[in-house]
Amino acid sequence: MRESNETEDLGTSFRQSRKEFKFMLATWVVFAAWTTGYNALFAHRGEGESVSMILGMPAWVAWGVAFPWGIAILVTIWFAMVYMQDTPLGAEEDSDTAAPQGEEGKP
Amino acid sequence: MTAIVTFGIYMVVVFVLAWLANRAGKSKVFVSEYFLGSKSIGLWAFAFTYAATTASGGSFMGFPSLIYTHGWVLAWWIGGYMIVPMIALGLLAKRLNQVGRISGAITIPELLKHRFKSRLVGQFATVLVVFFMFFFLMAQFKAGAQIMATLLEGVEPYERAVIGLEQLTGGIPWVGAADGDYLLCLLVFAISVIVYTTFGGFRAVVWTDVMQGIVMGLGVILMLILALSQVGGLKKATETLGEMTPPRFVPIELVGELPAETEVRLPRGSWIPMEGVDGIVRLKNAVTIAAGETASPVVDALQITTESEIRSLSARVDAALVYKAVPAGEVETYAYGDGEKGVYLRAPGPSQGSPAGFLGVMLALSFFAFWNFSGAGQPSYMVRQMAFRDTPTLRRSMVMVAIYFGVVYFSLIVIFTCARVLLPGMEIYPDRVMPEMASALTWNAGVPWLAGLLIAAPFAAVMSSVDSFLLLVSSGIVRDIYQESINPNASEKQVKRLSYSVTVIVGFLGAFAVLHPPQFLQHLIVFASAGLGACFLMPMVFALYWPRTSSIGMIAGMLAGGTTILVFYLVGYLRTGEFGEYLLLGLHPFIWSVLFSTTAILAFSLSGKPPEEDVRERFFGKP
Repeated sequence: MRESNETEDLGTSFRQSRKEFKFMLATWVVFAAWTTGYNALFAHRGEGESVSMILGMPAWVAWGVAFPWGIAILVTIWFAMVYMQDTPLGAEEDSDTAAPQGEEGKP
Repeated sequence: MTAIVTFGIYMVVVFVLAWLANRAGKSKVFVSEYFLGSKSIGLWAFAFTYAATTASGGSFMGFPSLIYTHGWVLAWWIGGYMIVPMIALGLLAKRLNQVGRISGAITIPELLKHRFKSRLVGQFATVLVVFFMFFFLMAQFKAGAQIMATLLEGVEPYERAVIGLEQLTGGIPWVGAADGDYLLCLLVFAISVIVYTTFGGFRAVVWTDVMQGIVMGLGVILMLILALSQVGGLKKATETLGEMTPPRFVPIELVGELPAETEVRLPRGSWIPMEGVDGIVRLKNAVTIAAGETASPVVDALQITTESEIRSLSARVDAALVYKAVPAGEVETYAYGDGEKGVYLRAPGPSQGSPAGFLGVMLALSFFAFWNFSGAGQPSYMVRQMAFRDTPTLRRSMVMVAIYFGVVYFSLIVIFTCARVLLPGMEIYPDRVMPEMASALTWNAGVPWLAGLLIAAPFAAVMSSVDSFLLLVSSGIVRDIYQESINPNASEKQVKRLSYSVTVIVGFLGAFAVLHPPQFLQHLIVFASAGLGACFLMPMVFALYWPRTSSIGMIAGMLAGGTTILVFYLVGYLRTGEFGEYLLLGLHPFIWSVLFSTTAILAFSLSGKPPEEDVRERFFGKP
């Protein structure tokens, strides 16, 4: 019961951030498993065995690093543009440090 | 010389940006402006300041040297970066910015102080930031000085200045024992960074980061094109790499048939054919043969073992050279991969010290975690995450950084795979492979002036990191120690003066400390990032996402994380006699620090009183 009240007390913005946090952790697990798992199986070849190549790189690099890297970029773009929600960040407590509007901060 | 002009133009632009930043910030409140750019950083600035600060001397100096030394396995080692833009940028950013705004904090220790209503938590965090960040500063100063030394090597006024400085500092303890060229470059680099950081503050750092991020991206793409065209394509580079075997290290004497008429000096890096066999070595240090002598003192050298390289290098040896190399001691071979063709194409990669090879599976997994989570736990990145303007800025930056990192890091792997083929024998000073490659590529392409821009890329990476770290350390001292504990009522003028002074003093202390730098740049960088990540990652995750975290749990978490790193490095040192980590069960100490830190936070928070309700309401409540 207490747990339920605690959840209800929490702000929408905080709960959204926590949801995104969990998604990011899950994504990390997927790519860590892919890269480490694939390379643990295929990146080690015995002495004298030929190493096959794709696009000029060893095949294990292509499937175990380059390809997941490309997918990871796409997932990041989807996460940032679709899954992640805009939330109010709140006003400065200290008026001395209030964020000015306009183009400040851009070179 | 034209390369130096290009490089000089780059430096002038950096100073102009600092001056403009100083002008732009004049109307703002000093402390918030100087240390956090008034929390108004927009899309381009936020994305590039993050990317540029992340890509430090480690990425542009240490990482290339590792690719060169160990081959394609480095693609796996760095593979964790595929998800870094999401994890390191997204995991904490939104909440950090929010809590920073609610509390009005300027620094990370200050944010923690407000979050837990505890001055002790803030002070503890300050000590840890200053301690570990200082190691980062040292590493970046070393990298900056090395790049300058490569650029200026052989330029006459510079060589004269080096001799003059050596004469000037010869009698000074500590300073006089440093190499003249390194000392001069360190001095010039330190003064440049300190001046523009002190003058422009956070806004100058961010603006120069944007320019430096662009220079880095352009530099890498240009190098990629030049490297691939000169090596004959990636396929050819990989095939050639597949035929290579690791070099050997051998003490030699240079022996001639007749006594030298005058003193003969051969510089470091000279190629010498071997006596009696079909072989060639490269000098690790300069050597002098005295007049009247037929042989040199014993000197360390690198022996090339790949047949095709021996043939092509033998053709390059100076025909007038009358000396041959004769082995004068025991040959030291690679502990893993000696004489093995194809070792540069597969895991675990050749290793000089480890019989198990460079990268085991557990260590690879550790690094996949390390790059992401240690990155998220770095106070220098956290500060940037407190400074972006709004969440659309964060989301779009994530997209930009993802593409940017994909291009830059994968290109670096390809470039320095080609470097093994184009620049043999760089194992004598592997940390210099990046600037050496830039010089070689542009020289071969007939555009030597472009070397200045290419060398500006790693230099930009180093500068954009060192300025951020410098500001972080000085903000810790001014804001978290002086304003917090010594003089809370300090006037803006006093704070301003102190901020400038502290930035200058910390900068020069960092440069002074690194007059005799440790041998391995990358080790120092990994130690500092592991230490900071260990101290701050889990405490910050709990502080932002678990309302029940208590101040005592927070201190316990920071202490457990930092201590784990120190202990594992101490054990590593005691076991090998060299600065390096101990890998318990093959895992990097950072992984253990996360485990111990999490346990400490949970145990101490749950065993004490829950935090006050108003804290929960303020930082976690509605909306």
